[in-house]
Amino acid sequence: MEDSSRLLTCIQCGRCTGSCPEAGRTAFNIRMMVRKRQFQRDIEAAIPWYCTSCGACTLRCPRDVKPSEVVIDVRSAFVEDGRIPVTVQKALENTYVQKNPWGRSRAKRGAWVEKAGVEIPHVGETASKRLLFTCCIQAYDPRCMVIPANVAALFSRAGYEFGVLGEEEACCGNEIRRIGETGLFDELREENAEVLKEYGVREVVALSPHCMNALRKEYGDLGIKVSHYTEVLARLIGEGALKFEGRYDHKVAYHDPCFLGKQNGVFEEPRSILRSVEGLELLEFARSRETSLCCEGGGGRMFFEVEETKGPRNSEVRAADAAQMGAEIIATACPFCLMTLEDAAKEKGQIVKDLSEILMEVL
Amino acid sequence: MNLLVFTKRVPATQEEELRIVDDGRRVDLSKVPFKVNDWDNYAVEAAVSIVEKAGGDVTAISLGDAESDDVLRRAIAMGAKDGFLVESSDAINDPMARACLLYNFLKKEAVPFDAIFTGVQSEDDQFASVGGILAAKLGLPFASMVIGIEAFEAGRAVIRRELEGGLQERVKLALPCVLGIQSGINEPRYVSIMGIKKASKVERKVFKAGTYREGVPGMIDLVRWVYPAKKGGAVMLQGEADGVCKELLGILKEKGVYQ
Amino acid sequence: MQGASRHPEGERGVSMSYALVVAEVRRGFFEERNLDTIGLARLLGKEVKLLAPAGVACGSDDLSDAVIRAQVQETDFLSPLNMVRIIQKVIDTAGRPEAVLFTGSSSGIELASYAAGALNLPLITDVSGYDPEKGVFLKSYYSDKIFGEFKPREGTFAATVRSGSFKEQAVSKGAPAAETVLDAVETDPGRSFVEYVEEEKGAIDITKADFLLSVGRGIGSKDEIPAYEELADLLKAVLSASRPVIDKAWLPKPRQVGTSGKTVKPKVYFAMGISGAFQHIAGMKDSECIIAINKDPEAPIFQYAHYGFVGDANKLRDKMKDVLKG
Repeated sequence: MEDSSRLLTCIQCGRCTGSCPEAGRTAFNIRMMVRKRQFQRDIEAAIPWYCTSCGACTLRCPRDVKPSEVVIDVRSAFVEDGRIPVTVQKALENTYVQKNPWGRSRAKRGAWVEKAGVEIPHVGETASKRLLFTCCIQAYDPRCMVIPANVAALFSRAGYEFGVLGEEEACCGNEIRRIGETGLFDELREENAEVLKEYGVREVVALSPHCMNALRKEYGDLGIKVSHYTEVLARLIGEGALKFEGRYDHKVAYHDPCFLGKQNGVFEEPRSILRSVEGLELLEFARSRETSLCCEGGGGRMFFEVEETKGPRNSEVRAADAAQMGAEIIATACPFCLMTLEDAAKEKGQIVKDLSEILMEVL
Repeated sequence: MNLLVFTKRVPATQEEELRIVDDGRRVDLSKVPFKVNDWDNYAVEAAVSIVEKAGGDVTAISLGDAESDDVLRRAIAMGAKDGFLVESSDAINDPMARACLLYNFLKKEAVPFDAIFTGVQSEDDQFASVGGILAAKLGLPFASMVIGIEAFEAGRAVIRRELEGGLQERVKLALPCVLGIQSGINEPRYVSIMGIKKASKVERKVFKAGTYREGVPGMIDLVRWVYPAKKGGAVMLQGEADGVCKELLGILKEKGVYQ
Repeated sequence: MQGASRHPEGERGVSMSYALVVAEVRRGFFEERNLDTIGLARLLGKEVKLLAPAGVACGSDDLSDAVIRAQVQETDFLSPLNMVRIIQKVIDTAGRPEAVLFTGSSSGIELASYAAGALNLPLITDVSGYDPEKGVFLKSYYSDKIFGEFKPREGTFAATVRSGSFKEQAVSKGAPAAETVLDAVETDPGRSFVEYVEEEKGAIDITKADFLLSVGRGIGSKDEIPAYEELADLLKAVLSASRPVIDKAWLPKPRQVGTSGKTVKPKVYFAMGISGAFQHIAGMKDSECIIAINKDPEAPIFQYAHYGFVGDANKLRDKMKDVLKG
């Protein structure tokens, strides 16, 4: 439930709306939503679903109102009432049955391991009890399945031990909590936490910033160290455990994913990884790091389309920015960003790659 | 208005690879997750919407194993007043047997109703028959593939049913009646996990299927399960555009979408 | 009841020398799927008697061995409450058939289940195969992933027949069928037909369409859309699209198929110029029959399609229009 004391500290300064990727382009106005909640006014049914959970508002709020959480609370009320967009319903129901929002077979969650090209043990069989946690998208989407395979190969090359859970893994629930289905999030959290305990997992390397966020900050104190794979790779490269032989003579613009950058402060590691590749010219977007432009893939937006928008999608803007800078490739470290940017990028002749894909090309 | 809705717990097989075991006698469902039959969800929503407007109660009934309690709780979370589980640990394949058992149950327990809603079919066996057989046994008017309920008052119902190719027909039925509800008739409300937990507080009465087995016939026998003829991947059409077009039209005709 | 001569075997309920095929005739049109029911009836090896309402043409007159005319209007014929009375009359006059067969359709399933309940007939629906040696019928389970071989117990059984399964077996016998007229039955007022309702042309709801013609980025430009609209009209399909097409506003949002658009399960999903991105596939992969046309042989959609063709979608579209018009 909402912490009303936080709500009441809002001074309506508008910094939240000022940093919101949906403001101006859509009818979404976070400042106004907080105001309405202060006065317990009704909120129009579709509006809360526009939020992408980028966290910019919470980051910039001078009064710790945490507007992102206000959105989640508003959504929870709609969820309990049963009146939520059909596409979001489907994603939730799929997650309930198959533990992933795409409704793909849970039994096939670990199938990517067969295509990885390296031996991957079950985490229970490892000495380090280090778990490589896959995002639902990476487990099932052929385009993104290469990411866990790549990271597995890179870790193996560096002699970095790890294991997987296969079908015992369930969706981390990050998007589920943002959609406001608290009950379902709790079930996922309990299930995953139990499995982690069962196998004595000591460390989790998440392949998606969303999963990293949930496991690190929203699962309570599991006594487990949670990192994103870029944090690990940056360290391995720094220690000399991972060396690259090839050159990569390309201009690469790095796009900071919201859940990696804004929300968890991981900015340097992906950059240091890219700088370690010979020939690679790293370009910075004007809106980068904390002000990185949200790709609009998070917060349940994979399952919800805003009907009326003004102007191009943020992904198109990003692609245009990259083209303007002379970048040939947009590199990112989040599967949501990868999927949402790729479509727009194709139009502008840009290529979008996950960091792991670039590294595999120079290994 | 007293409405009964039948709801079934079915395996979620869409994404799964199913294996036949025990020498063709059984399909291995041990690793398959279960869920509420999609059509029944629409039926529950339809019934609950009617009583929300016109007053009355919805009772959900499920013929199945003990786990079928899940779908009863779901129905209650959506607005049903209560749920009855007619518990049977074996899956009864024959729709005639299922319908006769339910008929005996309704008669023996003197369950009152103004109408019975079922889903058009269940996702697992797809027989699409229990509603019709039950209606005939009860001597009640019946319509299936109901895609719209336009009037529902004491004594009569006016519904629209789905035919082929986008055509529908408007049909009038006397009440009490049995309706087979088609998917897409409405947008079922979402049922949250917390909502389902709350529904656990409502009593779901359990009855043993064995009590109602008298005179229930077994009229068809399952000889064995088999796999479909090997299909492999996509059948890739070859050749000149002209021939390919004709082949495509043939496929469309076979599927019944083009005449 | 008394006047008409009753078939002696009808009294004993034995005989079963014929298969009764309940014809599906709607708005005067003898549905093509009747051929599948006739085909299965032929496979059963019995005399085929077609049951139809009076005054409608039943395909070529040599498809069955006999035609029994019920003296009711077409819409009354299709009411399950009346069909029970009609079939009972047939049994009274012609004896019990080996089987009563119905089309696999909206009315077929209604009629079959109600008749089975009223007349206590073993019922197998959606029959898509028959093995005469073993006497077993093939019935789909779990959306065609598994099939059950079913055998009805003794006596007359009922079945609905999946369209497209036995059409080839509906060969003509050469001689025209003998027609008889059934005594009148009283119609049951418990259910009555009001009127037909055509599809609304206003709001588009692609989730209700049986047949979707779907276009993707591969069609190239907005200028290609009118030709696709024409093709959709000719095929009586509804036009839908993948997200890039909607984003570019080549088609309006209600036509979008995908995780953030609509999820569809039509009988046929005909994808032209769609590569098969994950979010799109999620919105249509449960379609009964997926046909994909794409220039790229590696397009992911081919992994989900039932039929595919590697080629230029626009060129194929034009060819299809020629074939349909010509």
